[in-house]
Amino acid sequence: MDLHRVEPGVWSVIIDGQQLEVAVEKDGAEYVVTIRGRTQRVAVPDPRAWESSNGDRAAAGVAKVASPMPGKIVRILVGPGDRVEAGAGLLVVEAMKMQNELKSPLRGKIVMISAAEGAAVTAKQTLVVVEADAD
Amino acid sequence: MFGKVLVANRGEIAVRIIRALREMKIQSVAVYSEADRGSLHVRMADEACAIGPAPSSESYLRGDKILDAARKHNAEAIHPGYGFLSENAQFAAACEAAGIVFIGPPASAIARMGSKTSARQLAQAAGTPIPPGTEEPVADAVEAARTAAAIGYPVMLKAAAGGGGKGMRRVDDPQDLEAAFRDASSEAERAFKDGAVYIEKFITQPRHVEIQVLGDAYGHMICLGERECSLQRRHQKVIEEAPSPFVAQHEGLREKMGAAAVAAAKAAGYTNAGTVEFLVDANANFYFLEMNTRLQVEHPVTELISGLDLVHWQLRIAAGERLTIAQEEVSFRGWAMECRLYAEDPDNGYLPSPGEITALALPAGPGIRLDSGVYAGWRVPFEYDPLLIKLAAWASSRHAVIARLQRALEETRIGGIKHNVEFFLDILSDEAFQRGELHTGFLDEWQRRREVRRAAPSAIVEAVLKQAAVKPARRDTRVSHWKGGASWISTA
Repeated sequence: MDLHRVEPGVWSVIIDGQQLEVAVEKDGAEYVVTIRGRTQRVAVPDPRAWESSNGDRAAAGVAKVASPMPGKIVRILVGPGDRVEAGAGLLVVEAMKMQNELKSPLRGKIVMISAAEGAAVTAKQTLVVVEADAD
Repeated sequence: MFGKVLVANRGEIAVRIIRALREMKIQSVAVYSEADRGSLHVRMADEACAIGPAPSSESYLRGDKILDAARKHNAEAIHPGYGFLSENAQFAAACEAAGIVFIGPPASAIARMGSKTSARQLAQAAGTPIPPGTEEPVADAVEAARTAAAIGYPVMLKAAAGGGGKGMRRVDDPQDLEAAFRDASSEAERAFKDGAVYIEKFITQPRHVEIQVLGDAYGHMICLGERECSLQRRHQKVIEEAPSPFVAQHEGLREKMGAAAVAAAKAAGYTNAGTVEFLVDANANFYFLEMNTRLQVEHPVTELISGLDLVHWQLRIAAGERLTIAQEEVSFRGWAMECRLYAEDPDNGYLPSPGEITALALPAGPGIRLDSGVYAGWRVPFEYDPLLIKLAAWASSRHAVIARLQRALEETRIGGIKHNVEFFLDILSDEAFQRGELHTGFLDEWQRRREVRRAAPSAIVEAVLKQAAVKPARRDTRVSHWKGGASWISTA
């Protein structure tokens, strides 16, 4: 296999006379691989990732709801202590002329809201914490 | 001709207009918000003027600031592009009053066509067929329910001041009407500062076909054929093409629709470039939908098959020149198709994906036209529309243009943000799409039956990733892990 780096993040691969251009970009723990316009995300298991997911498991029953993208909070639909059903709208984030309602992943109680209407938020910033009802 | 023109827009359309100005040796003035200081349209302009904070309500929608900028820079005319102030009759009137030419129709024509209910009345009076529905906005949910029951479900609720799919809701079931009315009205209020909503019969599996018109100030108007824009998500167009595969198969339909479009536009006292949108049913009946009193996003496909430059003509007509093309001189060659490359995640409800464009490779070669508003290293702001680049192609036939677009998309690479390049590759290889069996619900149906292709990481990918990891741009503590022949997991 002949790998030749043609530009930053881009490799030309020749194998048995077949040529393929592969672009690679790191995104957190994953690599985004693009070949002829098609993209796949590839990750390796990381021991530390295991630890953190075990940590999450210890706090099972608590869901952190984060904004999936940078944007602005236009509306908060719940208050601290409110009880919500799974799928209930918690708040509305607006980005690029589109409003997106973030929903509760579980049935439970709002234990924290770290957001204000009109505030700018970054991607993956935790906005609301919901504690599941004990069954 | 003008010596200097201000472009009251941003992104790819501002770049498109600045290019036309340069070709015509006219000085260009860009305006920009705080989020757009480094944007491509500012880099390409001869002059630039800051107009305020990032939210468009404090910058690109502030007609007063834009007029101040035009006066400060001695611009003789303003090109509004699409969106923002382009269909704002008060702004057009304010330009007229300030002695600055608004590059578009007269304010009176914008006002007549701007309210969808008055546009329908005009079109009807001009003999253009309209779909059954209310001519006036409905007062409240109760009246909406009564009207919907009278014309029969499914119905469509539409913002009277609307456009771009804002304030629109399809309602199939009477019990959903009240909530849909409330949503449509509040969305319209937010988007247009006017919550008025009217009701129309929903036509099942319609095609969206629109007619481009161009008219001068001396009463001469021509039509430049149709564009088919049936591929839409959330009422936003995704792929447009010219000609329409449906119209091309129905002899005389283009001429009939063209004549109806010109009649409606003339009835409004229209000049400059405009588009009359129609819904077309399976029996080739067409109904007036609305008129867009501006340059359309998808104007390149018309330019590609007609050989005319619409922005050049907009400028010439606005400067008082005569439109020197007779209807008989308009002819079309080949097929053109456009993909709107958006910063969004089509696998995740089209969620917007702002952020830095870390890498950018764009296609070239025969028959490719790119209208881009971005560059590598630029951060896509979250405040505006997610349209990044319009990728259009021209070829001798529809079959050939699809193959050319597939080739161009394979050459495209946009790093750092989510985008819809792969989504287009999948649509273009769909058999129903290739047969031209389009309607406005096509994309939603296709998303449900779409087979997501997931290439398994191959030995080649694994080898490249190892190279990428041992030659990182910066030190990475996990490098040692890569040497152990780890198993790869595709996470998406």
